Amino acid sequence: MKKVILSAGALLLSANLCTAQNTQAKDIFSRYEDFRPSERELTMYQLDWAESLEVALERAAKESRPIFLIIIHAHYGDIFSGHC
Amino acid sequence: MQSNVDLAILDSKGELLQFFDGFRPTHRQRGESLAAYTAFEVRLASSLLQVKRPAAMPKLELPDLPKGTGIRVMVRLMDDRMVAYQAPVVEVVPLTKEDWKKLAYPQKERRLEARDLKKWLCQVYPSGVMERTNPQTKKVYQIASTEGTLILTPAGGDGAQHYAILRGKVRLTDEGADGFSYDGKLEIVLTYGADQAKALSLRGTFEGIYPRTDRRKNRTRELALQAIFESRPM
Repeated sequence: MKKVILSAGALLLSANLCTAQNTQAKDIFSRYEDFRPSERELTMYQLDWAESLEVALERAAKESRPIFLIIIHAHYGDIFSGHC
Repeated sequence: MQSNVDLAILDSKGELLQFFDGFRPTHRQRGESLAAYTAFEVRLASSLLQVKRPAAMPKLELPDLPKGTGIRVMVRLMDDRMVAYQAPVVEVVPLTKEDWKKLAYPQKERRLEARDLKKWLCQVYPSGVMERTNPQTKKVYQIASTEGTLILTPAGGDGAQHYAILRGKVRLTDEGADGFSYDGKLEIVLTYGADQAKALSLRGTFEGIYPRTDRRKNRTRELALQAIFESRPM
């Protein structure tokens, strides 16, 4: 009987631990959702960026579209990834 | 005074139609926002273009991997004075089978070193590259090391899937000679198929404090640096 009670206790403990750990996972998922930028905040990626002027010129000719060119006079930055 | 950003509009043949200073200060004199000034200049050029307006707004397409698997990282520095730094930077890092093996399901609690995850943790730095650049080469200092002991713990499951939590403090140090570094709390949930060691997906966050120094005022402010991580393609 003692064994059964002990086993039941262990199962209960294990279930509680499992729930507690799942709660932690849920909390992390929830923080991830809170931190993840909204679609509005990611609007820059709605623009149809090309990686280089060469690629843009090729696509512009093929798709009959104009080009909006950003020229940064600096040795650093990569506007394609958002680093400026 | 000319700023260091020029904007130009070319037609589909690559001919220059118009260019203008990205930050010409006259817009302020006219009481315009920078956005309104830019939109005005773009409208001027677009009147010269014989192009059709797109039927619908383009879809939001975040940087992604053309093939294979990896991790997408989104980072922003919550600076209320330099609000541009709050705009998220999105990077995607391809991972190999070996990289994923490090994150295999832990039958029991297991330690992992942040240096083993440097490939994707090194993307956690502010969007403004002028923050930390080599004064000689003008190149951005890369993150030289990611240090800290992380704990990977089994975290139950729901029948079809089971979870593990990776948690710990990570210190990031860049390659500058002054040993500049900052740290934060990493919390990741990994999902695995039932009875499988290989991770199916990953979601998590980094919450850190970034010491941003205003060189003119010689003052340092501690700002929240936030990142999220999500596996790709799942």
